[in-house]
Amino acid sequence: MVAFIILAVLLVTAGVGVVTLRQPVHAALSLVGAILALAAIYVTLEAHFLAAIQVIVYAGAVMVLFLFVIMLLNVGRTRTASLTWLKPAAWITGVLSLAAVVAVVFAVQRPLPEFEVINAALRGGNADAVGESLFTDHLLSFHLVGVLLLVGIVGAVALVQQVAPETRAKRAVAVAEPEDAPELVASAGEAS
Amino acid sequence: MVQTEYYVALSAVLFALGGIGVLTRRSAIMLFLSIELMLNAANLAIVAYARQWSAAGAQHALDGQAAVFIVLAIAAAEVAVGLGILVAIFRNRVSTDVDELSEVRA
Repeated sequence: MVAFIILAVLLVTAGVGVVTLRQPVHAALSLVGAILALAAIYVTLEAHFLAAIQVIVYAGAVMVLFLFVIMLLNVGRTRTASLTWLKPAAWITGVLSLAAVVAVVFAVQRPLPEFEVINAALRGGNADAVGESLFTDHLLSFHLVGVLLLVGIVGAVALVQQVAPETRAKRAVAVAEPEDAPELVASAGEAS
Repeated sequence: MVQTEYYVALSAVLFALGGIGVLTRRSAIMLFLSIELMLNAANLAIVAYARQWSAAGAQHALDGQAAVFIVLAIAAAEVAVGLGILVAIFRNRVSTDVDELSEVRA
């Protein structure tokens, strides 16, 4: 219980930091802290493989991507909301929904299974156990997520792609002298 | 061991914080960070319920953890495409303020 309280305080502090810090870089680093605390909480929930994946994929890959984009765009201090009623309304909504969820959760308390039962069923949540579940019962989801990641890669590349300088120069020449290269004019027209 | 209720309550706190962030922040990057917070809150609830569910037997006890694995992959894909869109918007508009990007609405 002591470990849970310490981790929960760390997690909520980092979460408040993500929501309230003005500098995007500070908020992103605060989210890294929240993700690391969450990984530790996964360990207490017998999900060791997920804890490792959380650190590698989230704290490693996703947050590095975030920091790259924040520094690439050079986004400075974000301005505060112009609608004055929005901020208190958002906090009231958040606190109310939180109170409702907590009330529902604690209204029906169920006893936790015995430690031996949990240990036998989850097998520590290691890669062996999760992989067995993933490659038998959830094989279709696994394949679909692979396709989704491929689409994500192609989409990200297509979105940020820019015309190469040589092609741009060729298109400019073609627009200036249309009779030399009619097919380049057509492609330049489509691009612009 | 800590009861499942406390983990779900912590997950609710995290989800509410993410929701507040989505409602109050104006920079699109900060919106993304808050959405990541909400996704993580959902993952925490699923992992906590997976432990509670382990009494049902070893056959389906790990379904929750497998689901969290898939949610992680989906979150990674979402971040890649979302940040790509953000960079493309920033190239054209030199701003990521979502209030200024309102002409998309019908």
